[in-house]
Amino acid sequence: MEKSLKLYLSILLVSILIGCQTNQEKAEKASKYGFLFYQGNPQHMNAFAYAVELDSTNAENWRELSVTYLKRGIPHEWKKYYDKAVEYDAKTWQPWRGYLYLWFYRDYKKAIVDFDASDTLTPNFIDAPQGHSVDYWRGIAYLGLKNYEKSNWYFEKHIKKETEDFGEDYVDLTAFLYNGIAYFEAENFEDALVNFDKQLKHGRNLSADAKYYKAQILKAENRIVESKAMIDSAIEDFNSGYYNHRPYVETLKQIYPEDLKNFKTLLNN
Amino acid sequence: MKKKVFKILAWGFATLTLIILCSYAYMNYLTKYKFIPKENEFTKRVAYIDPEKALLSEDFETCSDYIFDYYNPERATYSKEKNGLRKFILTHYKNKNYNDSGYLNIRFVINCNGETGRYIIHENDLDLEPKPFNKDLVNQLFDLTVQLKEWNPNVIRGKKRDSYMYISYRIENGEITQIIP
Repeated sequence: MEKSLKLYLSILLVSILIGCQTNQEKAEKASKYGFLFYQGNPQHMNAFAYAVELDSTNAENWRELSVTYLKRGIPHEWKKYYDKAVEYDAKTWQPWRGYLYLWFYRDYKKAIVDFDASDTLTPNFIDAPQGHSVDYWRGIAYLGLKNYEKSNWYFEKHIKKETEDFGEDYVDLTAFLYNGIAYFEAENFEDALVNFDKQLKHGRNLSADAKYYKAQILKAENRIVESKAMIDSAIEDFNSGYYNHRPYVETLKQIYPEDLKNFKTLLNN
Repeated sequence: MKKKVFKILAWGFATLTLIILCSYAYMNYLTKYKFIPKENEFTKRVAYIDPEKALLSEDFETCSDYIFDYYNPERATYSKEKNGLRKFILTHYKNKNYNDSGYLNIRFVINCNGETGRYIIHENDLDLEPKPFNKDLVNQLFDLTVQLKEWNPNVIRGKKRDSYMYISYRIENGEITQIIP
């Protein structure tokens, strides 16, 4: 009898403790449950919608609700949810929104506004949404706007900082590539070559993109034989999978086999 | 002795059955009742396109009941690649003095044979707020998108699958400035 009473009291105590969870704790449980399901499934969405009902200030849960719509091409729903994430945690999610405007909407101006905002939101810290600094992303955004001077300025800043902090071989290869492309577009072939060569130096001499641009520079300098060898090498790299691309969306200045083929035909004529 | 073993087995079986039933009941509670919002409960996947409401879905058939939503463009692709898609759209699209700006998104299904159907259209301004476009512009871009016929179906776990796809046209003053993704 005494044992039964102890058991009953223990169950009662546990039940009371569980019942005493705050809304934040309940929301955390709901989001953990939501992550068990594939993004966009009813269980996933309901769990996060329930979580934000319990705690509307949790920015990460708003963001999770939004991402499903982003990847599925439903912009107005993405924006509705994502703006809530920014409202409750601008420091974290505004630079990220810039990254999403940049790639999923190709809205370079809106992206720059969000990247610039991070300078004041976190003045002593360079944010790095999706693994790259906001300077790197601004370099891409200005390249998209064809503002090559500003693009190079941000890429140089990014490369300098990464090199000082970790060494040149730590710099992401696409920073050299895009910096080179911005110089190339501005017809500054000398600085373009410096960057393409750095990309190849640190990337085991494998990059269809860097070689494609180098082949164009060689042609401009009337070094046709070298240009032909370079474009052949670019095609080989491309066929081996060494070309610049990214998941979910086409990357900026993405090259395709026909670009390489057309340039080769041009050289042979 | 035999009786004792039988008793232990019976208890073990009963306990296991109870655990399984409780787990089932708990999972049912979790999925159907516990983590459900009070308002706007989701009953379908976000990607779901209702064939009854979609355009060009009458003669379109999927190969299975499950339509994947895996959006990496390198998996389900237009047969002439993104460059070919862009070239087709941009050479055939005519800006008939439209002054619209925004995103015209067309979502659809690519079946396991690479055929397309079940189209739906989302119209938003450049701030991603719902706003209707000029009807003629919408019809023109919809017709061109439907003409993109040969698609490579998504291949998942070595098998060709049905999948959802979308194309987003960023339009500024009637001109197509970006085709995403």
